[in-house]
Amino acid sequence: MSLGVLLVEDDRELRTTLRDALQVEGYRVVSSASLADARAVMFNALAQGGLDIVLIDPGLPDGDGASLLADLRRQHGTPVIVISARPGEDHKVRLLDEGADDYLVKPFSLAELLARMRVALRHRGTTVHPAIVRYDRADLAVDLETRRVRRAGAEVHLTPTEYRLLARLVRHAGQVVTHRQLLVDVWGPEYTEHTHYLRLYMAQLRAKLEAEPADPRLLLTEPGVGYRLVEPED
Amino acid sequence: MFGLDGRIDLANLALILVLSAAIAAIWSMPLASLAASAIAVIAFNFAFVPPRGAFAVDLHQHALLLVTMLTVSWIVTLLVARLRWHTAQATAQALRSDQLREFAEALRMADEPVAQASILRDAVRRLSGAEPTLLLSSPSVNTDEASAIHLLGSVAPDESSGLRLCLKEGRPMGPGTGRHEEQLSWYLPMRGASGAFGAALVRRATGASGELRNHVQVLCDQLGAALERSDALRSAAAAREQAQGHALRNTLLTAISHDHRTPLATILGAASALHDQDERLSLAQRRRLAATIVDEATQLSRLTDNTLQLARLGQVGVALQRDWESVEEMVGTVLRRVRQRGPQHRVKARVEAGLPLLRCDAVLMVQLLDNLVDNALKHGIGDTPVEVMARRAGHSVLIAVQDRGPGVPAAQRRRIFDTFQRGDTDAVAEGGDDRPRPGAGVGLALCKAIARVHGGELCLRARSNGGSSFEVTLPVEECPEGTSREGDEGAPP
Repeated sequence: MSLGVLLVEDDRELRTTLRDALQVEGYRVVSSASLADARAVMFNALAQGGLDIVLIDPGLPDGDGASLLADLRRQHGTPVIVISARPGEDHKVRLLDEGADDYLVKPFSLAELLARMRVALRHRGTTVHPAIVRYDRADLAVDLETRRVRRAGAEVHLTPTEYRLLARLVRHAGQVVTHRQLLVDVWGPEYTEHTHYLRLYMAQLRAKLEAEPADPRLLLTEPGVGYRLVEPED
Repeated sequence: MFGLDGRIDLANLALILVLSAAIAAIWSMPLASLAASAIAVIAFNFAFVPPRGAFAVDLHQHALLLVTMLTVSWIVTLLVARLRWHTAQATAQALRSDQLREFAEALRMADEPVAQASILRDAVRRLSGAEPTLLLSSPSVNTDEASAIHLLGSVAPDESSGLRLCLKEGRPMGPGTGRHEEQLSWYLPMRGASGAFGAALVRRATGASGELRNHVQVLCDQLGAALERSDALRSAAAAREQAQGHALRNTLLTAISHDHRTPLATILGAASALHDQDERLSLAQRRRLAATIVDEATQLSRLTDNTLQLARLGQVGVALQRDWESVEEMVGTVLRRVRQRGPQHRVKARVEAGLPLLRCDAVLMVQLLDNLVDNALKHGIGDTPVEVMARRAGHSVLIAVQDRGPGVPAAQRRRIFDTFQRGDTDAVAEGGDDRPRPGAGVGLALCKAIARVHGGELCLRARSNGGSSFEVTLPVEECPEGTSREGDEGAPP
């Protein structure tokens, strides 16, 4: 059975191009050009159980796509990917903090979009992995159940904070996790402004887990947004 | 005098009287000393001039003596009085010029018109003994043009209209000025070379002289000149800003019309070939055209990012999203982006351990480094690697992007950061297999702008063994609190 995608994008050319490309990839695509229409389509599709992922451009003619995200988040865990055309980082960071799963900045390639969708769907548990408790990529292996971290087969000793930071990223492997989300979940809600903690602990993690900390291949930085642990190997 | 009586003759006694009259003239008021000398002469006549004890005078002998005595006494008195008057004038003049000098000094120290005006108020209050009211109509007082008139002090409605009239006509009004003599107060304009920039209402104390008015007028005119000067400075700054804005807009228009057209033309060419010649093209040709479209669109996207960012940074009061950022992370991000664009690119990083965090906008800094690396890759020769090096340099962090290309000729080094300089592209094209790519002009100008908004600098240094080193220096700020490294046994913070 094919997966259902709701594409909310007001630019006709981009909407058509993406719809065609996604259909070629085997998705069932419903597209919408306005917020009002998207809301109607969304609840209809949700009622029939045929909506697996939402792609949304928040800058719609009849309102901010963020309200659609709020509606969706109140009832459903359907993944949402934000397609942002805004140059400033704060807008998409806000949407991510409010519960969007990932983002893409226009212009983007189809390959990037498909990769983001694949990761978002995996976290939803649509595919065989229900939720990520194990992470394997290159020579790094993390098991959240046994709290074990191995690099090239050898056990790596992490401090409690380093481990919690890594575990938070592993749970959303392949997806961006914002600075704010990391600070709240690892340090606590009163630490949201302490970005310098994050920088220091990320540097420590990279020193322990990356072959070349200045050229990381696993723990990636999304400037101005947050961090992303590379998608695990299938 | 009575002691000397009889020992010296009458004429000598008279001289002593003249002497005392002169001394009296020095010490007392002119009128009093005139009267005193007259009385002294009469008394002298009574006491010493024969016949003694009577006012009768021997006309032939003593009348001449008495008249001469009186005349000389009066002349001395008048001369002394005139001297004293001149001295007093000179002292007052000196006092006023001292005041003027101090006032001018104070005006120079205060660069803000309202502050300057309050200095004038203080000075006038000291001179006239009453609180003056000032009306300023300089655009530099208030940026809001509609409310360009600024009132300092309290004012009655008719006084307010008097001030406005004085400001409009630029001429003094009030007693002694020849205009509106019936007014109780003086209305004095603050005149600059090109008109009045304000007016002062001076409530005069009784007996205030025209000289006081002249003096206050001079002070007012000084303030007028100061207001005129700050107006001129302000409009010059505005004109400069506008000129810069125009220059930036022209730059951006040129960027869009020139640099953006080339990739657009290529994209359009490739896309229309795919569209029109569809079946006549081989599969390989079609793939090549599609790849060209992807490449050129990527290039166009970078150009657009750079141009938009340059326009944004050119605006006044641009807000940066500053946070504590790690140099290692920013360099790592750039390496990943370069790899994504082309896995064949060879870029190496050498980041000194333990570099301090920088307070900067990571998106901009990554864009800066990305542009520098992209530029180095375009101008490098063959597959010599591009190096990104970061180290501490005093109170700054230095990040250098170094290549082993042909380098930039000395004559062009200074101008390479101007928006439309992009080196001798023909020479590069002969060396490399790729044709010269446009866009370095906007890219390097943007890099410089980004470094500057962070309080840093970007410069180009020629490397001793060939090649270029683009070096960014960024200031290091004190990090809010040191997070001590967590020990292995340590509890989580």
